[in-house]
Amino acid sequence: MNQPAALAGFAPAPVGARMQNHGQHMVKVAMQSGQDLFARPGSMVAYEGFVQYEANPPAVRQMASQWLSGEKNPLMLCRGDGLLYLADYGADTVCVNLNEESLSVNGTNLLAFDAHLQWGVERVKGLAKFAGQGLFNVGIRGTGWVALTSRGAPIVVDCGRGEDETYVDPDALVAWSSGLKMKGKRSMKAGALIGRGSGEAYQIAFSGQGFVVVQPSEDSTDRIRVRG
Amino acid sequence: MPREFQRGHKAKISDLTAGTDLYIGVQIAGAGLSFDMSCFGLDGEERLSDERYFIFFNQPTSPEESLQLLGAQAGDTESFRVTLDRIPPLVQRLSFTATIDGPGQMSQVGPGCIRIVAGGEEVARYAFDGSEFSTERAVMLGDIYRKNDIWRFAAVGQGFDGGLDALLKNFGGEVAEEEPEPGSQGGVPGFAPPPGPGVQQAPPAFAPPPGPGPGAGAPSGSAQVPQAPQPQVVQQPQVAQQPQVPQQPYVPDVHGAPTVAAPIVQTPQVPQPPGPPGPAGGQQPPQQAFAPPAQGQTGFPEVGSNPYAPPAPPQTAQPPQQQGPPGQQLSNPFAPPQGQGGMGAPQAPHVPHIPQGPAAGVGAALEKYREVPTGQRWTLQNASLIRADIGIDGQPVLAKQGSMVLYQGKVDFSHKGAGFTGRVVGNATGQEMQLMRCSGKGQVFFAENTAHVHPVELQGDAICVSAENVLAFDESLQHEVRRIEGHGIPGGALFTMQFTGTGTVVVKTQGTPVVLPVTPTTFADAQAVVAWSAAAQVIVSSQVRLHRNAYPGHSGETVNLQFRGAPGNFIVVQPYEV
Repeated sequence: MNQPAALAGFAPAPVGARMQNHGQHMVKVAMQSGQDLFARPGSMVAYEGFVQYEANPPAVRQMASQWLSGEKNPLMLCRGDGLLYLADYGADTVCVNLNEESLSVNGTNLLAFDAHLQWGVERVKGLAKFAGQGLFNVGIRGTGWVALTSRGAPIVVDCGRGEDETYVDPDALVAWSSGLKMKGKRSMKAGALIGRGSGEAYQIAFSGQGFVVVQPSEDSTDRIRVRG
Repeated sequence: MPREFQRGHKAKISDLTAGTDLYIGVQIAGAGLSFDMSCFGLDGEERLSDERYFIFFNQPTSPEESLQLLGAQAGDTESFRVTLDRIPPLVQRLSFTATIDGPGQMSQVGPGCIRIVAGGEEVARYAFDGSEFSTERAVMLGDIYRKNDIWRFAAVGQGFDGGLDALLKNFGGEVAEEEPEPGSQGGVPGFAPPPGPGVQQAPPAFAPPPGPGPGAGAPSGSAQVPQAPQPQVVQQPQVAQQPQVPQQPYVPDVHGAPTVAAPIVQTPQVPQPPGPPGPAGGQQPPQQAFAPPAQGQTGFPEVGSNPYAPPAPPQTAQPPQQQGPPGQQLSNPFAPPQGQGGMGAPQAPHVPHIPQGPAAGVGAALEKYREVPTGQRWTLQNASLIRADIGIDGQPVLAKQGSMVLYQGKVDFSHKGAGFTGRVVGNATGQEMQLMRCSGKGQVFFAENTAHVHPVELQGDAICVSAENVLAFDESLQHEVRRIEGHGIPGGALFTMQFTGTGTVVVKTQGTPVVLPVTPTTFADAQAVVAWSAAAQVIVSSQVRLHRNAYPGHSGETVNLQFRGAPGNFIVVQPYEV
């Protein structure tokens, strides 16, 4: 059967880079042997070629032991040759090419990254409270590609241009440049009721030079994990 | 080093280069799209007063050859030659446009650019991306215009809804009868312009540069040089020594020839460089399909004194964006393109070779999401994020609780007592409309659940907004809660907030809303209606039909709101029933 005309225009574009967006919500990764990829399990929507998935790589297990107390592994290792399509329930995806840079990403907003990048789970002092809500962040450094997800088109805000700190709703936080200092802030005023939920309101205060990426949604539910 | 332009930037050509003989290259591509590039020579009133200065595939040169369409070359999808000092005084502005041929819209376009090359050196580049556009079918990329007798370049990046003919009409031209309708060509490749003298002969003293694809669509095919008819095949050095026998008369296919930049193409005759090992435990993949591309491409031949040759694409900046027909026999479909020139040697397998993408670095990747700076009080950052600058006039903002995603500066958030009317809402619906008051000095970003946000500026008029669709509003606005009662409305009544005064109210909708004029027969679902002009009168109309109830379990649309009002009233409906 010939391809219907209505579907023309949705064919993948020729490969131009290791990671590319196909539309707004899907990432296309050009896989090659020797260039492995870490991706969220369950994020693969299609692949062409010969790609193998290792759901339980020991390295990940070690690194991410504090990721969540659950028994599931947060990452799978993909290797092989071909094209890999990743998506996260219709979230916007952003491909970032790190060039000897480092980036901290909220765990639920991390879709995939090159396996040769240095990475580690970072904990933030004073934010232990968030751990139970799934706020953990992954620091990634080196030269390579990272794919992020964002519910809605994200916005990038520069920190440190004003004299005051930048305060972010933790549910809306996507990523930030690693040089920033962060600390938890609790709205102490009795009357201040900001944020989701009742009574307790947190923000994360960023200070220093760098940027923060924020999504226009305060729904930080990990859809992949909830379903899987 | 080319100067990078952003949309709206302008510069004098003389500041960019001393030359007046310019090469304009356009790189644009998108999945399944084909493009028509054209150049409009407009007069002082931005009209196309002389149609001979509309340069497109059917008219590749202007009368005195100051404007020429050159075809695809050197990595560019389309290219022009502009000789500034030969342009007649009638032409004041050259507008370079790209229109989609066939179905598609500009949002599908991948990263592209328009660049100016003079003296063999790229001097200006304006890069754009499909995310800057939506449903447009054409885009005006850049202008070269004369102001006070000085030529300047402006990066325009302005989308245009119609196709090529609409663009032509916009500039005051007429679509000739015999001109093929844009869009009727579909995806048929191989559209060849009638071989006129302007196409057949390469202009004297102007040799198209040897690009990565030899003769890839470039109009260099004069009769003396036999050339293979498949321009997309890139010969490796060994292959190139064999004489190419033309198998069919050469057609100067400057318009429809698909081009593929060199690095991702390989010929099977060439011994392959040692590839990385195959996947462990898997089948050995077919060599042809998965091996990394041959790396025989070294530097480009020197163009020497040719003042007009565009440089080779930079090593990392431009991935090949031209699209070949699907299933092209020689291209490696999976391997990402390798860099050229300096990255010639195959690397050891244990060193991962990172293909360079279009933009290296975090800053470049995130540039398009950067905050939009303005001095205004309310600034839409993207479809679902809005920024309020509270410091400007010290007026506090009231916002739905929990809608703040980020703030900078010294901003105080305090619980806003909803007041008497607010309490009515809370008591009646069981869900309180909780507001918070943001005061102080700083910027606050509001968003909720990726809903689209729409700042509605009121200047003395009034609007009713369904209470759950209010995101934030200026405290200077007077608001009161209205209640619409009717049988069948969940919760017993529909609560709306009526805003009057001067200020901005931010309305959120799930999805793109529709704005309907109020006519004698305007109905809306009570759950989908978002807002309406306050002068419209609302009537609850219940429709109970016997035959509907005859089907058990059928939940028809029973409760509608009918709107009545004088002409000029409107309602806003979202594609989402809460």
